[in-house]
Parts: sequence; structure tokens; C-alpha cells
Amino acid sequence: MIKVEGLFKEFKLNRKQQQENGTSEAIYRAVDDVSFECKPGRIFSLLGPNGAGKTTTLRMISTMIQPTRGKIEICGIDVAKKPNEARKKIGFLTGSTGLYERLTPDEVLKYFADLNDVSKADFERRKEQYYTLLDMHHFKSKKIGQLSTGMKQKVSITRTMIHDPEVVVFDEPTSGLDVITAENIITLIRNCREQNKTVIFSSHILTEVDLLCDDLAIITKGKLLYNDTMNAFRNQMKAETLTGEFIRIVNEA
Amino acid sequence: MKKILIIAKKEFLDMLRDRRTMIRMILIPLLVFPLIMNIVTRIQSSQSQKLAEKVLTVGYVLHGQSRTGIDRMSTVPNYTFVEYQDSALLHAEVKSGKMDLGLAYNSTFDSDVLAGKNGSRVLYFRQADYEDFERFQTLLKREDSLMVDNRMKSIGQTYAFIDPTQDVEINTSDPKEVIGKYAGGMLPYIFMAFLFMGCMLPAIDLFAGEKERGTIETLLTSPVNRTQILIGKMIVVTSMGLLSASVALVGLFISLNMLDMDSGLMQMINDILTPQLILTLYVLLIPLAFFFAGVMIPISVYSRSFKEAQSILTPLNILMVLPAMTGFFPGVELDYTTAFIPIVNVVLATKAIIAGNADMVLIAITFTSLILLAALSIFISWRQFGKESMVLR
Repeated sequence: MIKVEGLFKEFKLNRKQQQENGTSEAIYRAVDDVSFECKPGRIFSLLGPNGAGKTTTLRMISTMIQPTRGKIEICGIDVAKKPNEARKKIGFLTGSTGLYERLTPDEVLKYFADLNDVSKADFERRKEQYYTLLDMHHFKSKKIGQLSTGMKQKVSITRTMIHDPEVVVFDEPTSGLDVITAENIITLIRNCREQNKTVIFSSHILTEVDLLCDDLAIITKGKLLYNDTMNAFRNQMKAETLTGEFIRIVNEA
Repeated sequence: MKKILIIAKKEFLDMLRDRRTMIRMILIPLLVFPLIMNIVTRIQSSQSQKLAEKVLTVGYVLHGQSRTGIDRMSTVPNYTFVEYQDSALLHAEVKSGKMDLGLAYNSTFDSDVLAGKNGSRVLYFRQADYEDFERFQTLLKREDSLMVDNRMKSIGQTYAFIDPTQDVEINTSDPKEVIGKYAGGMLPYIFMAFLFMGCMLPAIDLFAGEKERGTIETLLTSPVNRTQILIGKMIVVTSMGLLSASVALVGLFISLNMLDMDSGLMQMINDILTPQLILTLYVLLIPLAFFFAGVMIPISVYSRSFKEAQSILTPLNILMVLPAMTGFFPGVELDYTTAFIPIVNVVLATKAIIAGNADMVLIAITFTSLILLAALSIFISWRQFGKESMVLR
């Protein structure tokens, strides 16, 4: 369960950044009073154009950055008060997540399992489970730098799930990936729902959103424009297509 | 603590798998001294052998004076004497390199010597070949001392007549003190140069490199706080620096043993490089390593990429080298001012320890100031690493 209440994130801009952004304001509000809830066993999609505030919101949820104001709870844990407790509940994956190129998949997984206090037995069991599921046995001892993009993404998926997180955060997880690799991610997201995990993912690919999500929020310029179920979204559509409706909502804002 | 060790262990593994690290931090420090010393001593010995065996061609103008001296010098091996009639021509030929040296006697040389005056000669040489000139001067001095002896005999005296004193010089300084004064700056300089270089690569890789590869996000979402991440990585940065400096020291030992050195000097070096000295050096270098790491990490955290961090940190090398060279300057000692200047204090303290004249109060001040400086730089690193605008820049 993720609960976000009155979330704000402001960044200080230096003069150069002000010039680049064409503003004289010294503060840039990336997230502006955002509230929503993501429930277990459901996939929540955060949809918005580039620079809308999706990544900033997900980074706050995953404790990478702190909100300027507002509250985030992960499985009932206040992330501001107990960030490490909250982190144990979170798995985080993006399409551009890096891996340690000089280590092997085995070593990377062990590292993150140790950081997450995963017992040896659980680590071995989950590792085996994902190695079999994603057909990873043949490259588990190769250095990551020698692996293909698809293989690396399989390692990233296993790394995300090695501590069996209750909440999984995907920030544009298929961005820049080929169709086959992206399909692995889509399967992972579906599996998470089946395992009653809370899933939040950001995207600007509407077909992906249509395919996967149960609940939807649309964000632009840091503000939440829409927050309801996917079915409710479909029912209230004024445009003929999802893309058309998305553009209409964003343009009206 | 457990999380810090997990991070440090992984970073060690990661760094030691890097070929760049192995070459720059282990292979180069290990080989640089044996290679440099071997090459330098080989060149030196071959050059001095060549110089000693070189046949010097010396042109001379007698201007009607006796050739006894020339005939005597001609019997010395590796000399060829060629007679000239004209001083100007001899001058020109020495200048052009046709002759190695020139010697022109004054037309009154013999009579002046006989009269007990100075017989004058003109010596032509090239500054560029000063070794040839020095070699010839030795031969001339031998010739001149024969003339002095003859003069003394003619008046019934011995050489003591014009050299009335005889001094017995007794050197009271400990050989260690001499080595400490003239060569004591070398050891800390080596240590410091490799310590700096050894810290630099991991500092860049573990912070700017992690940002560039996109692995920092995953680490920041793991249940470990930033202080633990910073300390874990800092342990690796400082350890790699110390490892690099230690490997350089091993390289220095190997190269010293490879040299055909006088056994007394070798024994003295072994006496100086005692485990106590090495231990003291490490006690001073550990806080210095943290200071280096504390300077490099904020820069690396600020940088967006490995290249950006490298371009900022590489010029810092010069800033480190200059104070590290103070050990080579005579007269610069560890005192109540220099003991507070980082790098300078380590160099001078080590020099004093080697020389055996270290003031323990000053050593304690040095150590304390290094600890305070290390703590300050760690604090700055911690502040910088805590800023999300820097870490996720």
C-alpha cells in the first residue's frame, strides 16, 4: 500500500538554471500538492508528458529524495521517519537502471540481498526461482559488462525482486528497451499484481498503460489532473482514443 | 557497521576487478622505482665508463716553452696531444669540437716558474663538455704538484712549508641524520604522491562513476543510509590509496636491492626503514588519506561523469606535489607553524623521524591537526553526499 498526501517538491534554481528554464523564479515546483493511494494487488499508473513530475514523485516514494512538504506512507510506514524500514518494502526499477559491470549477476544479487537483510536460505530460493523463470543460469557467473541489454535487464528484474518487496516502483521501465526485453518487464509487472504486491509505474506510453493498469493518475506541470480507476477513465472519455483523451486533459490544464 | 562492511567489500571487489585500477594503482607503483632506478643507474654507469675511456684530444701551443710537461702528460692513457702554433686557431678548433681541450703556455711560462712566480697558461674548454675539462684539470693538478715539489726541494723544504696546518676532521653526526636531512624528503614524497593517485581513481569511480552508470539510484533505494554508503566507500578510497603507497614502497625496496650499492649504505637504509618508522609513517598517512578522500569525494559527488571528475581532480595533483616537495628544501624544518600545514607537516615530520631528531610535541601536533582536517573533510563529504541536488545531479 502506498499513501501519498499533499506532496510538494521544490528545487532551488541557480541563475544558470533560471536562464535555461526561462524564468526569474529561484524556486521550481516539480510536484504540487499531489495525493493518491495505490492498493495491493492493483497496478497504479502515473501518466504524464516529459517533465510532468512523474520521476520526482516516484523518487520521493522510493526515498531517493525527500519531499518539501507532504506525507508518504509505504505499508503504513512514514518514509520520512523510518526511511530504511520503508526501503525494505520497496523494489525500484527503471529502464535505465545501471548495474555493476565488473561484477557477476550472482555477486550483484548477493550485494543487494545483504543490504536488504535477506537470509541466505531466502536469497538462494528466490535467486533460483528467478534464474529459472527468466532463464538466467547460463550467464549467472559472467561479468555483467559482457552481457546483452536483455540479459542485463533480467538481472535488474531479479535484483528488484530479490528481497521480495511488497511495493514495486517502476519508473518508465520499458523506456529504451527492445520489444522482447520490454515484454519481460510487462510480465514482471503482471506477476507482481498476481502476488498481491502494490505496483506503481510511470509511463508516457499509453498502450502500456491500457494493457496493464487498474488505477490511473495523470500528472502535468507537477499537478495531479486525474486520479481514478482505469475503467472510470474509459467511461468518462470525451475523445475517441486514450491518446486523444490524454492530450485533451493535459491541454485543458 | 554490517552495512558499511557490505558496501566496502563490494566496492573492493569492484575496484580490484578494474584493469585500470590494477595498472595504475598496483602495477605502476610496483614497477616505477625498479624501472626508473635500473634505467638511471645503467645509463649513469655506462656514461661514466664512456667518459673515463674516452680519448681526450688536447691541443697545445708551447710559445717556445719546454715540452717536458706535455711529454709527461702524453704518457697518461686515453690522452692525445696535438701541437698548434697559433692560440687563435686552437681556440677556434676547441670551439668547433675538433679538439676536446686546448692548453696554451705563456711565452714567459718557464722563466716565471723558475723565478718563483706564477707561470700562466690558457685553458680552452666547452662548458657543455665540462666532464672532459674536470678530467683534464685533475691531470694538470698532478703535473702542477710535481712543479711545487721541485720548487720545495730547490729551497730545501717540503710541501708542509706552504701548508702549515693539518686538520683532522671528525664527523659527529649520525649518518641517519645526514640521510634524513638530504634524502629524508624522498620517502614521504613517494608515499604521498602514490597515496594521492591511489585515492583519486576510486574516489572518481565510486561516486561520479556510480552516478554515470546509473547505479546510484538503486543504492539509494536500498535500506542503508547515506552516511553508511559514504563511510563504506570512503574506507575503500583511503585503503586503495594506502595500498598504492605501500606497493610503491615495496617497489622502492626491490629497486634498492637491485642496485649494486655499497653494503654500508645499504645497511644504513635498512636501519632507517625500520618497522617503527613505517608504522609511524602510516599513523600520519591514514588521516592524510582520509583528508585526500574528503577533498576528492565532494568533487566526485558534484561531477556528472567520470571524465568531469577526472578533469577537476587531475590538476589538484600539482597542488599536492608542491607542498610535498618541501622535504627537499634544506632549512625547512617541522616547527609550530609547519606542523599545522597539511602535507608539509607529514613530509617534515617523516624527515625528522628519519633523521632521529623528531620533537614528539610537534609530531603530536601534526597528527592532531591531520585528524582535525580529516574530520572536517569527511564532514564536507558527508554534507555534499547528503545533498540530493548533488547526488542526483
